[in-house]
Amino acid sequence: MAAESLDASRAWAPYEPSPACPWTLARAAHLHRRAGFGATWGQLRQALSDGPQKTVDRLLAGQGDVAAFNRGFDQNEQAAVSGGSPEPLRAWWLRRMIQTPHPLLEKMTLFWHDFISASAAGVGSGSLVRGHIQFLRSAALGKFPALVAGVARDPMVLLSLEAKANRKALPDLNLARQLLRRWTVGPDVCTDRDIRQAARAMTGWFVLRDELRRFDREHDDGEKTVLGKSGRFDDQDVARLAATHPAAARNVVGRLYRWFVDEGDAPDEAVLAPLARSFAEDFDVARLVETVLRSALFFSDRSLHRRVKRPTEFAVGLVRALEGTVPTTPLANDLAATGENLCHPPTRDGWEGGRFWINRATVIARSNLAAAMLAPSGRYEGKIDPAALVRRHGHAQAEPAGRFLLDLLLQPADDAGKRLLREMPARGDLPDRLRTFAHVIASQPEFQLA
Amino acid sequence: MHGRRFTSLVAAALVLFLMPMTARCQTAAPAAAERLAPADEWVPPQAFAVLSVPKPKALLDWSLRPQMIQAVTSSPLYKAASASPKFRELQTGIDMIEKRFSADWQTLVRRFTEGGATLAVGPDKTSLLILDARDAQAANDLHELVLQLARGGAADKGQADPVTSSQEGDVTVWIVGGQQTHAVIGKRLVFADRPAVMQAVLSTRSGDAQASIAGSAEYKAARQAAGDAQAVLWVNSGLLKLYPPVAQALSAESNPLIALLAAPITDAMKQSTWLALALRVKDDTITLEALSDGTISPEGAARFALPAKGGQGPMPNLAVPRRLAAMSLYRDLRGFYAAKDKLFPERTSGLIFFENMMGIFFTGRDLTEEVLAETGPDIRLVAAEQTYDPEIAVPAVKIPAFALVLRMKNPKRFSLVMEEAWQKALGLINFTRGQQALPGLIIDRVEHKGVKYTVASFAPAPAKERAAAEMRFNFRPALAAAGEFIILSSTAQLAEDIMDALAKEASAAAKPLAQAHSLLEVEGAQLASILAANRETLVRQNMVNKGNTKEQAEGEVGVLLDLLKVLGGARLEIGAVEGKFLARLQVRVSLPPAQTGEK
Repeated sequence: MAAESLDASRAWAPYEPSPACPWTLARAAHLHRRAGFGATWGQLRQALSDGPQKTVDRLLAGQGDVAAFNRGFDQNEQAAVSGGSPEPLRAWWLRRMIQTPHPLLEKMTLFWHDFISASAAGVGSGSLVRGHIQFLRSAALGKFPALVAGVARDPMVLLSLEAKANRKALPDLNLARQLLRRWTVGPDVCTDRDIRQAARAMTGWFVLRDELRRFDREHDDGEKTVLGKSGRFDDQDVARLAATHPAAARNVVGRLYRWFVDEGDAPDEAVLAPLARSFAEDFDVARLVETVLRSALFFSDRSLHRRVKRPTEFAVGLVRALEGTVPTTPLANDLAATGENLCHPPTRDGWEGGRFWINRATVIARSNLAAAMLAPSGRYEGKIDPAALVRRHGHAQAEPAGRFLLDLLLQPADDAGKRLLREMPARGDLPDRLRTFAHVIASQPEFQLA
Repeated sequence: MHGRRFTSLVAAALVLFLMPMTARCQTAAPAAAERLAPADEWVPPQAFAVLSVPKPKALLDWSLRPQMIQAVTSSPLYKAASASPKFRELQTGIDMIEKRFSADWQTLVRRFTEGGATLAVGPDKTSLLILDARDAQAANDLHELVLQLARGGAADKGQADPVTSSQEGDVTVWIVGGQQTHAVIGKRLVFADRPAVMQAVLSTRSGDAQASIAGSAEYKAARQAAGDAQAVLWVNSGLLKLYPPVAQALSAESNPLIALLAAPITDAMKQSTWLALALRVKDDTITLEALSDGTISPEGAARFALPAKGGQGPMPNLAVPRRLAAMSLYRDLRGFYAAKDKLFPERTSGLIFFENMMGIFFTGRDLTEEVLAETGPDIRLVAAEQTYDPEIAVPAVKIPAFALVLRMKNPKRFSLVMEEAWQKALGLINFTRGQQALPGLIIDRVEHKGVKYTVASFAPAPAKERAAAEMRFNFRPALAAAGEFIILSSTAQLAEDIMDALAKEASAAAKPLAQAHSLLEVEGAQLASILAANRETLVRQNMVNKGNTKEQAEGEVGVLLDLLKVLGGARLEIGAVEGKFLARLQVRVSLPPAQTGEK
């Protein structure tokens, strides 16, 4: 579907391949990049064979026993934070992203992590941070009001917002402000008075010795007026009121549009409106995500390559595509150096994202990271081996192996592919040449786009 | 079967070592029988490192005994390696060699090296290997093997015969690939990685022995100091000190704590012109001595490790149950700290801050004259595996208990000073933890065999958390004044064990070690035990730190545990003999008994 032929009424209609907008390797890769962290060659071939809608079905459901996989990782994470520090979590989360049979779930967990923007800095307890990420995962594809209500009672969030003691005599405004202005209705809808009233509703909650405690004597039980509604609200009432407000639906839809479709241009209100109306019917995140992923707009040229990969998407995508598993402790540190320190959003508004991921320093850092991950030895232990991968897929000669890597990682047009193939080292052992070539691909400007 | 495989592996390693040289050389007719001078008299004087194994038999007997072979071949590491294609390739090569000579490779190695082996390294990374075979026939056989491998390797690659030769007096020098050379002289084989090195060897051979490395005063002194060692590595430490990492390590003394520990070693190295490592093996003990002509400077930080008079030195280490490691040092803390401004001028502001902080704990006492001067020079550290009370908490991550033991000059006075400082420190810890809403320590006074001491502990963990409790439950800090010793320990259990050990030591009238300033002992089996207790944690760390699967991680941790089990223990004693540096490392291996193979 060409950009100029798109109209708002058809944007969210299911995508059907056509001569103008065919189902290609590039579109299959686009779907896997956005709904996950990229695809293996087998997944791409499967997607081409199954078609877009069946592929979306598979991405929505995950493959294999997702629950068992996540239980195993939950246990490892719990043990990893028993020392107290939250830092080991970053490595385990990255490993989970690399190995998960349900990439969409991890992608949405990452989305809510950015959306809620609770930072482990100053929290101290690894268990609390683990609990927070685990909650985001459990609610990632659920109902939005439940997610907001849960977050409002998450001790890690309260500590992160410096709202660990919310007393009747002096209500803490931080949580209320974050809930109304960032997570739900937005600054255009809520007033300072709404925030103060909501803060009154949230009184009585304390985080004591890493546990959330409620003291009735500290709760303001009086009547409050929030977003035009009055009552003797408590925190859950405010969370429900705010999360089910039409403005909250528009906010979430707008953010998800930037996450899945296009972060380059401001979304057209006419395009978003039907999606926001639909979301406001039940606030079901899974249904909203499904609508977006199946849509004509998602597969149109308006969406292709309209996002800059986050550092996590860049690295995890490379590892998943090349069917490896790298040491994730150094990876977490390297990603922090490229701008994305997991569990540590830089501000309460999360990561700026988009074009801000890319600057002179981060471009070099990304290239160095790819080089390190693809090196035959060093801190990534030579765990990624493009030569072994191409052998598994039946390529023994340099040129077909190079073409395979291009199709897997970049899906370039013919001319661009030929130009890049010329950059493949002409001499040396094939494994070394392929490592170098994979690094060349990962350093291309196009590879930085999701 | 496994024994055969292991020996094959060693043979393959030897072949691989020789291959680059041999692949480019060819047999020459052995020179006429001659009385060969010691191999080091053929080593050019420019060599800066020489490894001599004058009598390989003892080392080969030790390392190729059935018990050792069985231990290696039954290790997971070997099993993993033997499954690799490269290993199978080596195995094939070894089989070929064994078939050619109708002997197993152990026999061949003994035959080819019976008279000794000498490896020298010179400028521009040149190297020289001299092997003295059992007889001229053995030397020639090895030479022939080398030729066969060289030609075979070239033929496999479709290349022309890579070997050429030239006549140098009565010696035919074989050159492979234009660089690698070798020659057979009687029962001796000489391999050099450059023609120029071979030329130098031949010149040295025909010249005065004093013109070789054997004529160097430093080399002679090193060999004399090494005595009858089974292998000796001599290094020109004047050149070694120019190597940047070594130069950096020797200059890194700006950290007072590191200087306190390592200055006696770095100081001796700075003063040395040679360093020798002498290896001896006997029964289950490997002894490696590091010797040098370096002495301790009377100006540096190391002088505070010199016993003031005879009969002084570090005390033997304390023997406590479940001991992992122990260190005993002789250090004059008062003298060391008093000289801080001269020794560490760039650290003055940091040290002033430190001293001010200590002033808080020691109630304004002068750190040098009223605190450190109260301690004797024998300092002991102990680390031990812990046991845990399941009614209180068993931490998920189990770390060792550790303790510091100091001798007090005036126990009655100074023990109270320490007690006050200790309780202030605990108070500070509790206050800081309180600020973070973390549980604090409860201070108590308890008694052990008549000694009252202070212990601080956390309240028991909630019942549901006790089986995998937080890290803090590894700590139950204690301070005890037992006789003339003050014990600062991370756990009460270790403090009590040390009190018992000190009592035993007193009754045995233990004496300080002579000619030493530092003693370190490590117990392999106990290390394996604590790692096994943390096995799951190690496996998890391995998975994210190395990107391994769980199975791979378990394999790697298993290898580490197996290695530690084989390491029965290690003891490192550092000091000086007649003012010259001497470090002696003794490693005790603990091999399982060899199976007889009978059923």
